Amino acid sequence: MTSETAPSSPLLTANVKVPKHVVYRSFPAETVVLNLETGKYHGLNATAGQMLEALEQAACVRDAAIVLSARYEQDQSVIELDLCELCRSLLERGLIEADDAAH
Amino acid sequence: MTPLIEPPGVRDHHPHACSGWREEPLSNIQRARLAVEIVAAYVRARRSLRRAPIAAAIAGLRSDGEAPSDRVCADRLTQARRLGRAVTRTLAFMPGDTRCLARSLVLTRLLAQRGIPAKLVIGARADPDFLAHAWVEYEGEPVLAPGDGSFGRLVEL
Repeated sequence: MTSETAPSSPLLTANVKVPKHVVYRSFPAETVVLNLETGKYHGLNATAGQMLEALEQAACVRDAAIVLSARYEQDQSVIELDLCELCRSLLERGLIEADDAAH
Repeated sequence: MTPLIEPPGVRDHHPHACSGWREEPLSNIQRARLAVEIVAAYVRARRSLRRAPIAAAIAGLRSDGEAPSDRVCADRLTQARRLGRAVTRTLAFMPGDTRCLARSLVLTRLLAQRGIPAKLVIGARADPDFLAHAWVEYEGEPVLAPGDGSFGRLVEL
């Protein structure tokens, strides 16, 4: 992942939700995501799939990073960078929604 | 610092055609009666899908049907399966994309018009290759081919 997103990105304090028109299911190989509005399927690798689940359960992106950092014993700042990059990728595809804190 | 396991990645899938369905011919009378209705439903389904997301398209296809009945009986399952076979057989001769989603949309309309409450199921598998599939169920029983068992359910509509 690139490191274009600074750890102070507004995304970190954003609450991320999967909209009702997006459904997903985790398989051993990847997480398949279907956007019912566009009719397009997307695939998340194992890391992105776990991040998406963590994002859904956390109050904000930073909280998800804290959880993932503890779970995988990785530096929180690195995970925050990856989470922000993933969020931007998912936002571009309309697969998640972020609240106003992200703008 | 190394990233978590591997960098998160997102890619866009382009499903292949799903597998076919074993056809059983209906009687000539039934085939003739259903053919026009199936073709009309197919045209309407394609138009609906071009204009609206799938959930709205399905709602439109169901909108002018009979009120769904809670009554469950073997006859209705038999009827639903027979309609499923007729849809599959008829659409095989139609131009355009008549794969699983089109078949499912058409059958959903036919069942709704007969007051048979059915669910359109969309499933997918990720391994060995990504493949998506759609089928229709009545009371949990597939009335269009649900695939080879490798598809995990994504959504019921």
